[in-house]
Amino acid sequence: MDDRSQTRREMHQVLNGDGERPAPSLGITRRTFLHRSLLAGAGLGIGTHGWFPLINTVDLAFGASEFKFAWISDTHLYPKSVNTRFVDTAVRAVKEVQAMSPPADFLIVGGDIGQLGDPVELELGAEILKEVTIKKLYIPGEHDWYLDMGVAWEKLYGHSPWAMDHKGVRFIGLDTVSRAPDFWTIKKMTPKERMGHMAVLDGSVAGAWAGVGRDQLAWLDRALADWPKDKPVVLFSHNPLWEYYAPWNFWVRDWREVHEILKPFSNVTNVHGHVHQVLYNEIGKMRSIGMLATSWPWPYPPQGVPALSPCQTRVDPGDPYDGVGWSRLTMTTKNAVDNEYVMWRKDVIGEAPWDSGCGDNNNQILSPRLADQIWPHYGAYK
Amino acid sequence: MRMTRRAALAVAIVGLLVMLGAGPNGALAHREKHTPAQLKAFEELFLEQVKIGDLLFHGDEATQKRMGVTLSKSGMSCAMCHPFVADVHPYEFPKFQEQMNQVATLRDIVNWCIEKPNDGVKLDLDSDAMRALEAYMLWSTRGSKVDPGRH
Repeated sequence: MDDRSQTRREMHQVLNGDGERPAPSLGITRRTFLHRSLLAGAGLGIGTHGWFPLINTVDLAFGASEFKFAWISDTHLYPKSVNTRFVDTAVRAVKEVQAMSPPADFLIVGGDIGQLGDPVELELGAEILKEVTIKKLYIPGEHDWYLDMGVAWEKLYGHSPWAMDHKGVRFIGLDTVSRAPDFWTIKKMTPKERMGHMAVLDGSVAGAWAGVGRDQLAWLDRALADWPKDKPVVLFSHNPLWEYYAPWNFWVRDWREVHEILKPFSNVTNVHGHVHQVLYNEIGKMRSIGMLATSWPWPYPPQGVPALSPCQTRVDPGDPYDGVGWSRLTMTTKNAVDNEYVMWRKDVIGEAPWDSGCGDNNNQILSPRLADQIWPHYGAYK
Repeated sequence: MRMTRRAALAVAIVGLLVMLGAGPNGALAHREKHTPAQLKAFEELFLEQVKIGDLLFHGDEATQKRMGVTLSKSGMSCAMCHPFVADVHPYEFPKFQEQMNQVATLRDIVNWCIEKPNDGVKLDLDSDAMRALEAYMLWSTRGSKVDPGRH
């Protein structure tokens, strides 16, 4: 076993405590089953719980009738005068969602519609999304928020958190972005400077800001109080509801408290944006699926990905349509939900080390930034 | 490139130290043992370049303006796809780059990224900005295994 595999297994062991697993009714679709067989035939070790061989589907257990929903996020729109590249990919995703047949029951837009919180960007997003005529639900991303602290975003897209019951599933939309610790007042930053720091994924000034917050945790507790413990819960959030990689805010700081609230529920799925990559994990009883961006893919963080996650293939940086896309989630009558990454390329997952976004990084050691450090003790969490 | 005051001071100190330690022939200063003060000054000079490269890599407008370079016209920066310089693998160059159809150096691929995804103006290969970018990328990935040619 190489070092990276060892690290992934250790991560899995530490994060996934004894006896805590999602509901056992894990649905395996024919497609996944076939792929598992093929992998076994190729002599790759996939026999353990920790190596879940996925092509572009993630199978989840539910107890409801069949329906579909779609996810689009991280469009990172600039004003058209600056850049139309991300407009083009967002428009393509929107057209494809609208063309779904049978149609999706709803579209969830998972945040980072704009790049720098500019009302021009947020209004452009609303204009593009007009093409989708099915029900639309929204949660914010940090790029939408920190120019005017969410004023323009809430005006256009409404308030979070929210809860919605749909065909036997309780869907919850969380706001994991608006409760960043105040790093701007003491430094007398302008709104633009504040937004600028929030918009740099690997910046040190805003720190590991993502969080649910005490008030929203209390809300979540109340929102689930009347929900049967064995019925499905799906949480939408911009940031993942577990600790993946804090320096890039691939986490929420209070994920443990979130899991305390979710602990009694046997069928919980978190669908999240922000990571711009194929990602899957199980923590406690919660499944977590990372969504693609329509704008650009993020690399996997330096410590690698959880053992349960497939790794997306390396993409062509010269092709704006590569490595990006949206998700089509289908709840089947066999109590399973397929998550299909619509990545606009044939192979979404890269198995061979030279084609895999994980295997490519075996030699890689990375450091946090130097040039933007304004706080003492920066790097303590790395 | 106009040097910052700090960098200029560091250069002056290094020059002074070299002269003091050089004996009759200044050009052969490296034959003398280095002092801790010299090493510290060398490192400061290097990290100054790293910081400039870091700012350029993250699209800092003031630094680009000061150095007279345009790394992007699309609003994108290098760091948007490469946080902490992830997935750049500067220690693997030179290597064959499909999109360029040639064995490329790190500086070649930096220019490709500036011109293509970033829609910027490519740098002179020997420019101060390129040197600073190279310093930052290699510093940020220090400790990685050098493996030229690896795909």
